[in-house]
Order: sequence, then structure tokens, then C-alpha cells
Amino acid sequence: MSAAEATTTVPRSSAARLPLTIAAFLAATLFVLGLDQFINALTLGAIYALIALGYTMVYGIIELINFAHGDVYMASTFVAMFTIQTLLGRSGAIESIPELVIALVIVFAVTASLMGLAGVVIERFAYRPLRRAPRLAPLITAIGVSFIIQNIIQFAFGPTIVSVPQIIPISWSFMVGESRVPILNLFVVAAALILMAVLQLFIARTRTGRAMRTTAMDRDASALMGVDINRTIMLTFLIGSALAGAAGVVHVLYYGNTQFGLGFQSGLKAFTAAVLGGIGNTAGAALGGFLIAFVEVGASSFGYGRWGGGIVFTLLVIFLVFRPTGLLGSSTGDRA
Amino acid sequence: MKVFNKKGFAALAAVAILAAACGGSSTTGKTLTIGIGLPLNGSALASAGPARDGALLAIKEASIEGYTLVAKILDHAKEGAHNPDQAAADMLTFVGDETVVGVVGPFNSGSAFAQIPVSSEAGLLQCSPSNTNPNLTKDLPGAEISGSDLREGRAANYVRVATTDDLQGPAVADYAYSNGARNVYILDSTDAYGKGIADSFEAQFITAGGAVAGRDGLPVGTTDYSAVAAEAKSLGADAIFFGGVTSDGAPLFRKALDQAGVGALPFYGGDGIFDGTGEGSYIAISGAAAENSFASIAGSQNIPGKADFDTKFMAEFGVAAEGYAYAGYACAQILIEGIKAAVAAGDVTREAVRSAVVDKGAAFETVIGSVTFDSVGDTSQKYISLFKVENGTWVFADEVDYTGK
Repeated sequence: MSAAEATTTVPRSSAARLPLTIAAFLAATLFVLGLDQFINALTLGAIYALIALGYTMVYGIIELINFAHGDVYMASTFVAMFTIQTLLGRSGAIESIPELVIALVIVFAVTASLMGLAGVVIERFAYRPLRRAPRLAPLITAIGVSFIIQNIIQFAFGPTIVSVPQIIPISWSFMVGESRVPILNLFVVAAALILMAVLQLFIARTRTGRAMRTTAMDRDASALMGVDINRTIMLTFLIGSALAGAAGVVHVLYYGNTQFGLGFQSGLKAFTAAVLGGIGNTAGAALGGFLIAFVEVGASSFGYGRWGGGIVFTLLVIFLVFRPTGLLGSSTGDRA
Repeated sequence: MKVFNKKGFAALAAVAILAAACGGSSTTGKTLTIGIGLPLNGSALASAGPARDGALLAIKEASIEGYTLVAKILDHAKEGAHNPDQAAADMLTFVGDETVVGVVGPFNSGSAFAQIPVSSEAGLLQCSPSNTNPNLTKDLPGAEISGSDLREGRAANYVRVATTDDLQGPAVADYAYSNGARNVYILDSTDAYGKGIADSFEAQFITAGGAVAGRDGLPVGTTDYSAVAAEAKSLGADAIFFGGVTSDGAPLFRKALDQAGVGALPFYGGDGIFDGTGEGSYIAISGAAAENSFASIAGSQNIPGKADFDTKFMAEFGVAAEGYAYAGYACAQILIEGIKAAVAAGDVTREAVRSAVVDKGAAFETVIGSVTFDSVGDTSQKYISLFKVENGTWVFADEVDYTGK
């Protein structure tokens, strides 16, 4: 469920080697892909990682593959679009830095809080009544919720791809050698890393975070120790969905468009990231998101983008067969 | 996609023909009818309505010695869209009316797939003003259904004045080359349409003397095109071709190219991205990045008889002729010429009309120029028009002539 737990399931020596391994991996990919593609991969990875966190947190705490999570992310892109276009009345890039900062704060705050709320509502009505039911039941309702969200968005915003004003100017950039480094990409990566760091600290250091960890380990024992299980699970959905909301904001900032069908593919990739990283393990999910992005971008940069999906899911199968606990180990790996 | 139940319609058609045969298949009465079978309600009306009016004008103008020529209009749109089942049912109605010797329609290829087995069995000539699906007439390798399947081996009874989609890829390749492209990056949507048009583009572009910097594919549903955009940039491409439709991700790719700093490169596509400027269109989603994009569409924009026709059309209907009015008029002109040839030969049957138009290789002088049909019913006018995005709208750029190729 957390970094603290990860260290208990992963042997000490490999945990110590992890930062070195990541650094070596990044250096190697930078060398192979070149700076342009390296930045593309980091940016895509940041988005996958933010979505993957929601999957892994929910799985960690109630062992549910929340198939609606990808659609919460999709819906959040529309909330972000609505906030930018209607609430803020923006139709293009914001060149003034103070205005941009205020706009970004509002978009992130509105989207993340609305989506967090949506996550709580979904949990309360679609999953909580089925908490003691066979595991297949909540899985089916999750798929149902996924379709409901898609249909609501399709009804409200239509079935076509819609354009969203990119409020961070895409022209803002600086040169590193031959490569143009857009501020937009740096912002996306930085925002994701900050959110992930805050989440890690929250889970590791706060009382609520501890309650989440103990609930993931043993729900009944936690209840006996005085942990409010319903509240803890609700909070998990709140945080996971709010992170998906942040990912949605990042999506519209970076791509400048969205569509109601967005959640399925992105959700599947992010779920794969969560499994690769070790489902239930937040640091692993983030790592898995970046790994998948590097594989996809790597495939495209060698002209094999066509097979990107195949390569990612082959990797998933290999992991499930040979290392079912994922990159960093899983608190519930035996069931993943 | 299964668009119709072939056996079912064939059986129904057989019954109808039997009924017609009992009434005497040789049409010796004084009235001859040209059927007009088009989708004519809801959003379909905007495109197909002018084709109907064009055909009506030609029928009104025609005079055939000893016969009265009338039109019979059937609308096969349901809930605002063409309906192949209704199109097939309407064709049965035409077949059952023994005065009908030719039909103008349908408008959509999907309806044509449903109608041709019915009209073919009855030997009833039909002329489409707009169908472009090559599989309606040709037998292309790998096609799920082909022209000879629809006709069940019979002589062609279906002709069209629009040329086929399979020429679009080559036409765009020739145009891009003449426009200065030498090293093109190709991305396709990995499906039948996208990969098909990209393959035909690639082959012709190499034949023309160009080189392919790189080729890749990303399926519909892909959200991230930044990596392929960066790849196109690093390979030094001087032009981009996208095989696919707007909803496959063409505007997302265009935007990604823009973000990668190569948004000024000419961006070529087929009719899949030629979808106007409305909500969800290529131009609407791409925004400013759409500038310098090119798209093709089957058919010519040069209409030799335009001025004269426009005057007559305005006088008759009180609105300006537009879109498919010319093609609808041309179709009716061709059917009328076929009927006149049959009358002149003293044999006014459906087969005589069909044969006069298709089998004899005759040239028909129409509002859109001289038209001859090959043995499967495809037009000799093989024009592909190219449009370019300028100031947020599609502007006619050029046309490529594949006549004789």
C-alpha cells in the first residue's frame, strides 16, 4: 500500500539499489531515445502514474479492480474543460504568469474536488452495499458504473473529440542543444511528481494514512483497533479519484482535447502500470506508469508504435507469470 | 459489417420480378418512369435533396417521341439517415412497377450494397450520383464483398458518375509530390480504410520519385501522438500523410506535430479528414494547427455545363444549384439517353436501356462533361479533387485526373 510497506516486502538490498537502478534506467533511455522522446515519455508516464495510483490504492484497500476509475479520469477532463471554458471564460493560452497561476489553481481545485466527490458517491452507492458480496459482484457494478459515466458524458458533450483551450502556452520553451524543451511538459511532470510525493508523505506520516495502511493489511483487526473502516475506504476513493481529476487536468493542458471514450484505453494502461509496479503499492504504480510510457514511446521512436500496445501487454503477461508481485512487490500480490 | 441479408432480398426480388413478368416485361405503354431513390429527410436531405432536384429537372426537360416520361420519388431515409433496409425495399417497389426503366440513386454506398442485388436480378438500370465505395463495382483483393458478388455474375446494371475511393491515395501522392514533398512521414490508423489509403499513397509516392522517411500506425483510441510527432521531426520529414478519419486521431496527430515544433509541415489526408468545419470536424478540433492541411475527395469541381445549368435550376426551384445537383442531373441525363436509344431501336425494355448505357461503351454528354462507363459500371471521369485548409476552412486547391490510368 505504501513505500513503508514496500520496504517490508522487498529485500533490503534491492530497496537500496532501487534509486540507482532508476537513475541508470533513465540515463540509458535518455541516451537511446534522445532528449525529445525522453521528455515525451516522462510526460506520458506522469499521466499514467497519476491514474495508476487510484487503481492501486483502491485495490490495496478493498481488493477491487475499479474499472470505473479510467472513466472518472475521462470525466475529469470534461470537468476541467468546463472550468477553463465556462467558469474562467478562457479560449486560448494565458500569457500573463500571475493570471495563469490563478487559473491553474482554480482548475486543479475544482476538478480534483469534484472528482473526489464523484469517487465517494460511486463508492457509497455502487461498492459499499456489495462489500460482503462475492468478489465478482462489485467487479460487475464497476463495469456498469464505467458505462454510466461514459453515457452521461456522451449525452452531455457529444460523441466527437472536442478541443480544449491550452491555457499554458505551448510556445514557452527553452533549448537544450538541438532539442526544444517545452515548459508545458516540465509542468506536467513536476505537478505529477509533487502530487505523488505528497501522497507518499500523507500515507506514511499521517494518522489517516496509517489507518489506510492498516485497513489494507487487515480490515477486521483495524476495526477492532478503532479505525473507522467506512471512513477510511471513503477517503481512499476520495484521494484516488482526486488524483484522477488532477490527471484529467494535466491531460487537457497537455493534449488540448478530450473524448468520452478516453477512459477505456488510458484506464487499461494505467491498470497495467499498477500491476507492473505491484498492485496495492503506490510507489510501484508510479514506477509502472513511467515504465509503460517509456516502452510505448520507445516503440514509436523506432517506428514500431503500431505494436506498442502488444509490447506493453506482453510485458504484463511476462510479469504476471514470472513476477506476480510486480516491480516493487505487492501487499496483496498473491491475489493480484 | 453486414449491411444486408443478401439471400432474403434476392428471394423477395425474385417474387417481385415474377409479378412483373406476369404483367408482361416489355414496356409498351405510353408512360415511362424514372425512379428517384434517395434519402430525403432529416440531415440526409441537405446533401441528397439537390441530387433529387437535378434529376427532376432533367426528367422535366426530356421529350421522348411517343412516350410520357414521369418521375417516381421514394425516400429511404429513416430518422434522418439513409437506411439500407428501406433502400432495398424501395428498390423492390421500383422493380414491381413495370413502367420504371431506370433509377437515380442511391446516395450512400451502404444503401447501394443493399440495392444492387435487387436491381441486378431485375436487370433494372440504376445510376448513383455519389457512391464512391470501390467494392460496389470492382473486385479488389481482400475485399469482404465485391462488385461481382453483388451482381452474382450478371452484366452490370449499376453505374455511377462519381469515381472510386481507391484512387484517392495515389492522387494525394501525385499531388503532394508535385507540391514539393520528397521525404514523407506516413501514419495510419491501422484499420481497413486508414491502412488501405496509406498503402496506396505510399506505393504511388515512391513511384512518383519520393521517399518515405518513416511509417507507423496508431489505432483509434490513441491519445498520445507526441512520440510519433517527434519521430517524424527527427527523421527530417518534409510532409506528413495520415491514413484515417478524423475520429481516428488525425487532429490529435496534427496538434502533436504542432507541439513538437513541426506544425508548418504540409499535412495530407484522404476524404476521412474532409469533414467541413462543424463540431467534431478535423478543422474544429485541430484549430489553428489545421492550416496547410490537404484532403482529397472523389469527383471533379470543374463542371462544364455549370453556368447554363445554374440558370435553369434557379428558374425551376428558386434556389441556387449546389453540391450533388449536377451529378443528379447527369445521372438522369444518362438514363434518358439510354431510354432514347432503346426507343430508337424499337425495343423499350429494361434490358435494352441497361444495355444501351453499359454494354455499348457509348459516350454521354452531360452537365459534368462526357461520361463513358466500363463493363462494371464505373465512370471514365476519374477525377480526384484536393482541398486545402486556409483561414480555418477548406478551399479547393487542385484536381488530379486519372482518366486513362
